[in-house]
Amino acid sequence: MRSLNAAHEKQLWHGRKELVKATRTLFVWIVLALSLGSGPVTAAEISTFSAYVDSDVCAHLMLGPINSSRVECSQKTHKDGSDPVLVRLSNNTIFEVNKQKMISKLVGQLVEASGELKLNDGQMKLKEVRPIESSTIPQGDPARRLLDVRTFKTTGAPKTFEKIRHELAMMPYISEFDYISFTMVGDNVILSGWTVRTTNRSYAENVVKNIEGVNRIVNNIEVLPLGSMDMQIRAGARAALQQNLSRYFWGSGSDIKIIVKNGDIILLGTVMNEGDKNIAGIRCNSVSNAFHVFNLLRVQGAESGKKG
Amino acid sequence: MITYQNKTAFWLLLLLVVLTTGCAKQPSERSAKKIPAGKEFSGFLKDYSNLKPNSGIDGNALTYARTDVEKNLHKYIGIVVDPVDVYLASDADDAKLSEEARQATANYYHQALIRAVSSAFPVAEHGGPLVLRLRAAIIGVDVGGEVGAVDKSSDSEQAIHHAVNIGKVGVEMELLDSETGEQIAAMVDREPLGAGAEIGSVNFSKQERWAAAREAFDGWAHRVRQFLDSAHTLSEEDAKKVDQSYRPYGGETK
Repeated sequence: MRSLNAAHEKQLWHGRKELVKATRTLFVWIVLALSLGSGPVTAAEISTFSAYVDSDVCAHLMLGPINSSRVECSQKTHKDGSDPVLVRLSNNTIFEVNKQKMISKLVGQLVEASGELKLNDGQMKLKEVRPIESSTIPQGDPARRLLDVRTFKTTGAPKTFEKIRHELAMMPYISEFDYISFTMVGDNVILSGWTVRTTNRSYAENVVKNIEGVNRIVNNIEVLPLGSMDMQIRAGARAALQQNLSRYFWGSGSDIKIIVKNGDIILLGTVMNEGDKNIAGIRCNSVSNAFHVFNLLRVQGAESGKKG
Repeated sequence: MITYQNKTAFWLLLLLVVLTTGCAKQPSERSAKKIPAGKEFSGFLKDYSNLKPNSGIDGNALTYARTDVEKNLHKYIGIVVDPVDVYLASDADDAKLSEEARQATANYYHQALIRAVSSAFPVAEHGGPLVLRLRAAIIGVDVGGEVGAVDKSSDSEQAIHHAVNIGKVGVEMELLDSETGEQIAAMVDREPLGAGAEIGSVNFSKQERWAAAREAFDGWAHRVRQFLDSAHTLSEEDAKKVDQSYRPYGGETK
């Protein structure tokens, strides 16, 4: 009986081996056919450029010069859980990287990064990264523009800046869950931020393009997916905030913006006092399924105090 | 007294009933809905009481948009567009209008609505928080003329014998909170944009012959979008609040 079973098992084992062999052969043929069908494989181009290592949150929000408040924002939000990203200094393009560990300890610093770029997806397959000093970037190099505060104080720009701000504020389909940020580099405008509507991304670009004094536009606005978990977090966060801070909400909008991305909540806008800012953070931390809360609300009094 | 044989017979009979009911062929023709004779509205919408003329959109459509601070069109960021319903004219001979013809008409308007609203509200597959549900109906469809041999589909299953007449058609639609079913907005557009238009093919969207019908449905869908846009226009007070509230982070040129 035992020998019969053993013979049967041996037969089964042999059959399995044959099946595995056949599957492997088929797989090799499929891979071969696919690689032949796709034509000659081209070697991906490696780009090397100067970049600032930022947090995903601040890269989309704190546009403008790399100054102490930006570095502070980058390091704080990264510590709170925001992914590290690269911001190309020459044109402010944001790249997510495949190996975050390579840059996570360099957040808030300038680096020289090399890797394969996928410009359409804003992705970079990182090969090498090394920290650099700003002094190593030659004078006149486009990469220096983002480091120089004077770049952002062009004569005549305040009027154009105000016009852009007003037009973006008046966009019709901006909800409590969208935030469009922008800055001017000379007569070029960099748009950034987050929106839940794809059309807001192109609408913002079109509306700014038509403003007198604007030359070129870099559009870094990120369109957020409407996944069911994020939608629940959005609804939960708004309900929680409306309950305690209803004075910041009105029929068609609010002073507090709630950006939800992959379970993270980013609170933006301006509130009256530090207490309201803290309440907003506490209320959002209690929202089910939310991973991190980045409380970047500005306090009105503190701001005017700083200015004064 | 219940015997073993009786019990067996009872269970066999029950099984037979279940099997015959389950396997019975479903009638291919769905009973058509009709506008109740002498009534102004079809009864499709949950509530008609708040409808008022709206000067913000073309034609003389009646609309309603809720303005609560907590529940209004501004508070939603996604939309589910339900399949469109078709209501026949009160006196239409529904036996002459095939299910395929009605379905093709409904499908076209459904797609036209999706095209019109999707840039304002991203289209979702399922309802949920912050998602609206758009229900729409084509009202007053009638039986048209016999479809000529030239226009008839060679596929006998798809062939339409009597065209769908949309000459007196209007549309009704409402936007509901997809979670609670509460009406957030509604619109009744009775302007016969399809005057003189007929549909004689299930593929009418591809044929030049039925272009007038396509234009009519695209026109009604466009007005739905106009309504959404008008409801999204900020009041003077809100516009002031929005303008004061928005200041970008960083990069200010001062």
